[in-house]
Amino acid sequence: MAQFKPGREVVVVGVGLHPFGRFRSKDLATLAREAVVEALKDCGIGWREIPVAYFGHVYYHGMSVGETALASLGLTGIPIINVENACSSGSTAFWQAYWGITTGMYDVALAFGAEKVPGGPVTVTAAGSPDRYIGGDHMMAGYALRMRRYMEETGAPASALAQVTVKARQNAALNPYAHRKDTFTVEDVLNSRPIADPLTLYQCCPTSEGSAAAVLCAREELGRYGLDDSRAIRVVAASLTSGNYNGRGSDHSAFSPYRTEPAAIQAYEMSGLGPEDVDLVQVHDAATIGELQQVEALQLFPKGEAWRATVEGRTALSGDLPVNTDGGLLAMGHPFGASGIRMVHETVTQLRGEAGPRQVSNARVGLAQCSGAGDVTTVQIFAR
Amino acid sequence: MPESSRNSPKSVDPGRLRLDGDQTLAGTLLGMRCLDCGISVFGQAVFCQACSSARLEPVDLSPAGTLFSYTIVRVPPEGWPGPVPYVLGEVELPEGPHVLAEVIEVTHEALKVGMPVRLALQEVQSGESGPAFMVYKWAPATKSAPGNGEV
Repeated sequence: MAQFKPGREVVVVGVGLHPFGRFRSKDLATLAREAVVEALKDCGIGWREIPVAYFGHVYYHGMSVGETALASLGLTGIPIINVENACSSGSTAFWQAYWGITTGMYDVALAFGAEKVPGGPVTVTAAGSPDRYIGGDHMMAGYALRMRRYMEETGAPASALAQVTVKARQNAALNPYAHRKDTFTVEDVLNSRPIADPLTLYQCCPTSEGSAAAVLCAREELGRYGLDDSRAIRVVAASLTSGNYNGRGSDHSAFSPYRTEPAAIQAYEMSGLGPEDVDLVQVHDAATIGELQQVEALQLFPKGEAWRATVEGRTALSGDLPVNTDGGLLAMGHPFGASGIRMVHETVTQLRGEAGPRQVSNARVGLAQCSGAGDVTTVQIFAR
Repeated sequence: MPESSRNSPKSVDPGRLRLDGDQTLAGTLLGMRCLDCGISVFGQAVFCQACSSARLEPVDLSPAGTLFSYTIVRVPPEGWPGPVPYVLGEVELPEGPHVLAEVIEVTHEALKVGMPVRLALQEVQSGESGPAFMVYKWAPATKSAPGNGEV
């Protein structure tokens, strides 16, 4: 169904990150700007050379926050687009920046995202919606429904799911930007406060604040902007899908969460690469079950096998397919608008060989997958 | 009690739940069926979600289904008016749609994926002084409905 016309090669030249956590003294625009400044410094491009910017965020902090954030760098009159696509708002902003360049409209584009997620269970509908009285609007309850199906159908023990958190915390302990850096045992994870059985607190991502930014450029124009090709990372695929009909409506199945598979297939087609080519992965692990389901939907492990791969250490930093190398949503934290671009930041950092103590050896191809309410899925594939 | 709360409560969403008669706990889940491709959805629709046809007819959905999955919610979302913890069930109807709602009249130990359940209505007060709604829930098919089948 999807048709792709090959366009200009696009590279990420700069990435920036603000630590994830709680920063009550900074407003959303300030958080957002700080990551943008880091990304501009990372590649050395001047703010006044940026011709277009896309800003992902979800929670309301006044109108046109993207404009407010960037106005503080100087008013340049460029188009600034505020993007809301739930938890994949940031990765959608990145997708737009990519397509703006590959189609030839712009040589350079900025994608950035920021969020200050309020505490407590995350809901999708507006306050007063019938779903609040019915009880089904509860993000982690949705993950718990999927988790029970997955455990029933695959025989995965609770300890295998807890291992996803154990691994995420180990990775985050090596990451100064992470919201949660203390490490846990499987028992710690299983004994933490129950949220929605069988999910316990440490199996749910924290609600966080933070920001991330990326500068993209047409590869053929790098010289014109004086940008360093040796640190540029190619974007070899960027796909974005929303839900399609599956006959059920509400659906918390064991496999193919949020219809990740169509976005994955599109991304593999665009890149000419397959799951076997991928060296490291960032996926949407808002809960432990999310990581297992996503890596299976991406065809990186056979259906029903990711829990076993996790227990065997194959998805750890030292494994054959490291997953969520920076701690993922579970430990890095989850500021919705920033998370998708945080995944880009980590993938680019790894492919550049600049990830320090959590560097994956010989990383040449990295994949990032982000989900959002509305059955949104983004998949990007990057190559050195 | 204030006058308003003594009036018959309204359906939590008249597009999903029709109350059958005044002051009763009887009701019917509503859906739409596509006259072109035959699929049914829960709730109202103007176009078919599967084929985009505009030729839809309202249908009454089955009052019984099977428990596809469930969770015990210990930390409720903002605006939840009921007891905590509560059981949230995803129920598969014979017509296809899955319907999320609280599962009542069941102990946590008795919950089982695949168990038969039936529609049960409950009056729910929204907030301390808000209006009351009739909300659709699920209950084990075997309890309070001995005519319905298995023990």
